[in-house]
Amino acid sequence: MKEGRTPGLRRPMLSERVQEAVAAYLFLAPFLFSLVVFFAYAFARTLYFSFTQYDLFSAPTWVGLRNYVALLTEPRFLTALQNSITFAVVVTAAQTVFALMLALALNQKLRGITFFRAAYYMPSVASSVVITLIFIWLYQRAGAINYLLTVALVYRRVLVAWVVGTVVLQSALVLYERGRGRPASPLEPSLLVTAMLLAGAASAALWVAGVVTPVEGVQPVAIPWLNTRRRWPGGPVSAPIPLEAIMLLNTWTTAPTFMLLYLAGLQEIPRELYEAASVDGASAWQQFRHITLPQLRHVTFLVVTLGLIGTLQMFDQVAVIGDQAPLESVITLAYYVYSNVFPGGAVPRVGQAAAAAMTLALLTLVVVLIQRKVVER
Amino acid sequence: MSDAIARRRWARAGAIYLLLLFFSILFMGPLLFAVLSSLKDNPAEWPPRLDPPQLRWRNWVAAYRLGQAGGGSGWFGAFAPGAVVPFEVTYEVPAELAVQGIELPRVAVPRRVPGAGPGAVRTGPFAADMAEVVGPSIASRQPGPDGSVLVTYRFEVRHTGQITVDRLPVDVEVPRGYRFVEATLSPNRTERLGRVQSWNTITPGVIPYVFYNYTRVFGENYSRTTGRNLFLTWIGNSLWVATAKVLTTLAFASMAGYALARLRFPGRNVLFVVMLFSMMVPSQVTFISNYLVLRDGIFGLSRLWGMPTLLNSFTGLILSGLVGASAVFIMKQFFESLPKELEESARIDGASPGTTFRRIVLPLARPALGAVTILTFQGAWNEFFWPLVVLTSPQDKFVLMVGLSTFRRAYGAVGFDWGPLLAGAVVAALPVLILFVVFQRYFVEGISFSGLKG
Repeated sequence: MKEGRTPGLRRPMLSERVQEAVAAYLFLAPFLFSLVVFFAYAFARTLYFSFTQYDLFSAPTWVGLRNYVALLTEPRFLTALQNSITFAVVVTAAQTVFALMLALALNQKLRGITFFRAAYYMPSVASSVVITLIFIWLYQRAGAINYLLTVALVYRRVLVAWVVGTVVLQSALVLYERGRGRPASPLEPSLLVTAMLLAGAASAALWVAGVVTPVEGVQPVAIPWLNTRRRWPGGPVSAPIPLEAIMLLNTWTTAPTFMLLYLAGLQEIPRELYEAASVDGASAWQQFRHITLPQLRHVTFLVVTLGLIGTLQMFDQVAVIGDQAPLESVITLAYYVYSNVFPGGAVPRVGQAAAAAMTLALLTLVVVLIQRKVVER
Repeated sequence: MSDAIARRRWARAGAIYLLLLFFSILFMGPLLFAVLSSLKDNPAEWPPRLDPPQLRWRNWVAAYRLGQAGGGSGWFGAFAPGAVVPFEVTYEVPAELAVQGIELPRVAVPRRVPGAGPGAVRTGPFAADMAEVVGPSIASRQPGPDGSVLVTYRFEVRHTGQITVDRLPVDVEVPRGYRFVEATLSPNRTERLGRVQSWNTITPGVIPYVFYNYTRVFGENYSRTTGRNLFLTWIGNSLWVATAKVLTTLAFASMAGYALARLRFPGRNVLFVVMLFSMMVPSQVTFISNYLVLRDGIFGLSRLWGMPTLLNSFTGLILSGLVGASAVFIMKQFFESLPKELEESARIDGASPGTTFRRIVLPLARPALGAVTILTFQGAWNEFFWPLVVLTSPQDKFVLMVGLSTFRRAYGAVGFDWGPLLAGAVVAALPVLILFVVFQRYFVEGISFSGLKG
């Protein structure tokens, strides 16, 4: 198919089109194989299985919508659904706010910023199995987290003294600065650091002088983070404590990833906007409220969507925690699907599992469609 | 006035650094604490200390010397025939007990297994069967604080048998009220309200002393079917699978990405939608069918190579993850950002798309290929769910993450043996963390490439 190297020679259009298409399909062949066999066909088959009764061995028999109806009356599925949705909403909200805060803090021209970025990013690079094992250990009854809480309880008077001192000093410093005719917002960072350090020195002095003492006879905190069926904070809006423990660790691992997206977004906001706002005398808070947030709207939608998609598939943590926590307290849709396909000794209920999997896919799809609608507006 | 402004600018920079530092502690703290605790004898101690004896250089020197005294090397230690191991322990005897005369401690070499779980399935010889304790005797006495006496006892452990063993555990028991001060090597445990000082081994060598939990992870896990060292096997499996996936992904993602970015073909838009869809749908939705496809050897095709099923095989794991949509996406984004002129001039010169791709486009794609390499390796190394489904038996077939997740049960069956668990976790996390530190730029680029979905 080699052609003469005469520039300007017009080859027939059709053959060129066909050639290009053939080349494209050749280039795409391996990817298409992966996509068709392990995604498209797999998705279609799961949809089919969800209307059948199937145990991985004998042929599937068609049962129509019976699996879906059965799911609605199965307590374990309803628990998994509730856990999944609670988990996704809470973690997404927490990590979005946290990621934005981190990005604002890191969006500086400072030396050594790469070090900090690397430090923050470590948890999200490490594997979920490793992180979960480490956190199971931290969450033990005699673990480091309960120990830190115990220490905080023992020294609570000193901590309170420090907080009160900081507030008092900060107010005094701000009033002094304003009295000297210099503008200072209530949360002026440079003053805040000064206030914190001074208050720290003052409370340390009070502690040494014996005015503020550590509390005697504090019982060690022994919160069972994992091995409990209790819920917190109780009432209508509550989640099992073990699930909340996983929420904490997931927020901690994924916030840095989204921080990177926010950082990229922050760097694209035109400087002129802030300069104009400064000239008009807008405070830092007003600038954040009326420039930064609206400019980051698209990034926020992306972060929320990716966050929801990611958190809806939470599986690894539940599988690794295993019998450290009661299953009802941590089970998610993803784990429900897995445990019904491989119930370990019992008969696999693939139909039910497939119906639950389709529910999970539908939830994901709804999230994406909402995002598309919002972005298009 | 300008002074005040400069002062304030400095203070503001300081404030930001303090904030950054606080967050660093928040993110790095748990990981660093886990690494530190993986060296401890008891990572679940209360209160958790930050200075385990494993980090004191005095103990390193002692461990080196004792390792040599035991007839092994200073680095790895052993307890070999003909060895004579001298050891000293110092106690503070309170005044009211010292008046009644100083008693000698009881020194014993116990038959002790290394720990719970796999560590309790101890086969092979015990040092207790071939060790003879000579002594103890009083080596020195010194007056201590308020009338007490500091007594140093000396004893020797001699090897009387024919076989070399790796550990020489020792327990020293003293009368009630005697307070432990120091020893040639810091003890690993104190039991019975301070009356028993216990050593895992007094001939350790530096590495088994400092990294005791690590030697346990590598040394205790053997396959029941083949007798191979499991932890090393798992690391090898993970490396092999991750490397294979990186290679296939590099080749196929750059090809597919180029076609999507530059070539026109019917069905392009449909493919694009399916691709995005595949990135969003959880793998728990598609795994049922994929499991069956591998079980039946990809529609029976694998039988041509004499494999009736692809379950429990790395071939199956690699074939089912040849190339991911996100890698294709990164490559596509990158190729779209390249200027078109180069390719157009090549086309006018009559080069086929294949030639253009190989000769002109690929050499320019190094940054994107770097990002894909790093992210694919990280993804494959950390992947847990799909390998858990595909690789079920025997244990030799596990990849590292699946193997590591079995440790929780293995070492947690009877009261948690956290040392090997944490050590295993640290080893499993290291390769990716090192890659990340070295190639940080590529990580960040990859994330921002894939994050900017239009």
